[in-house]
Amino acid sequence: MLAYRDGDAGAFETLYERHRARLFRFVLRSVKERGMAEELFQDVWMRVIEARSRYAPKARFTTWLYSIAHNRLIDHWRRKGLSLVDLENVEIEGNSPNPERQAEARQSLQRFARALEALPPAQREAFLLHEEAGMSVAEIAQATGAGEEAAKSRLRYALAKLKAAVDE
Amino acid sequence: MSDDRKISERYRELGTEAPPRHIDEAILAASRRAADVHPAPLVAPTGRRRWYFPLAAAAVIVLAVAVTVHVERDRPDPESAVLAQAPQVAAEARKEEKAAQDAAVAQRRAKPFSAPPLESQNQAMRESAPVAGVRAPEAARSDRALGKISEPAEPPEKWLERIAALRKEGKHEEADKALEEFRKRYPDHKIPESARKK
Repeated sequence: MLAYRDGDAGAFETLYERHRARLFRFVLRSVKERGMAEELFQDVWMRVIEARSRYAPKARFTTWLYSIAHNRLIDHWRRKGLSLVDLENVEIEGNSPNPERQAEARQSLQRFARALEALPPAQREAFLLHEEAGMSVAEIAQATGAGEEAAKSRLRYALAKLKAAVDE
Repeated sequence: MSDDRKISERYRELGTEAPPRHIDEAILAASRRAADVHPAPLVAPTGRRRWYFPLAAAAVIVLAVAVTVHVERDRPDPESAVLAQAPQVAAEARKEEKAAQDAAVAQRRAKPFSAPPLESQNQAMRESAPVAGVRAPEAARSDRALGKISEPAEPPEKWLERIAALRKEGKHEEADKALEEFRKRYPDHKIPESARKK
């Protein structure tokens, strides 16, 4: 990011390729419509480009990137509420050709998706930052502007609820 | 398998979505446009070298200001050239006035009882006596250059004293002439008893 800040366009392409998919899924799992997810995703990167001159390496680039995404999602949540992408029609790749097994797998996955959707936004966000961005509790706290204890408890509660969905 | 790993695996099963290609291209194009506006320096400053550029710019600015101030100070001021000459001119004017005064005094002493014709007397007075308000041209020019107010060579009080002295000596004709001249120059000035016509 420092190289891009100093004018190296190729440096941005490398950064983008490294983070694009994970950030997209993070945003996608946080909003209802795919179109809205694409719009928010693009908006986050435009903000990254616009803020490049002010970038200072006080934290990892990942933390900085997801804090921008967090702020953008906060704005979105305030206006529109929150729900996940409908997974009813998602194709589940499974090893078993058995239709029953596939149906079970789909239902299991749907339970998990609904559990994820049912999480309070702050807990869901903590989980997604942990999963997609690979952030530690401290980094989650930094990206969301929360205290470390709050970030830790949010992640713990999220994992506990999702575990219950997995064990069902 | 730990609980966290199970959860991660289940989460991965939700899908590996990625942004569509047209969004990738839009974002990358915007990043290139932004980089074109501010092209990379030839030598990217890193670490301590990053501070050299603003420090060098500040040094150049300080040097330019210092040189400008120095040049302005050393430039000769046109007004100061006139002022430098003015004292010299004024000194010469004062010498001429003194010489004229001495000549007037000498003339009066040389011919105490004569009553020169009015015309010649006036001419003599104009040529010799320093008259209030009339000064040597060079002195007047220097005074104008200096912005000073011109001062009379003989104050009216002195002139009246001289007229009174003539009356005391019995030189009434001379005193009358001098008084007449005085009144022309100072029509509103009060004439003391000692200088008036008898």
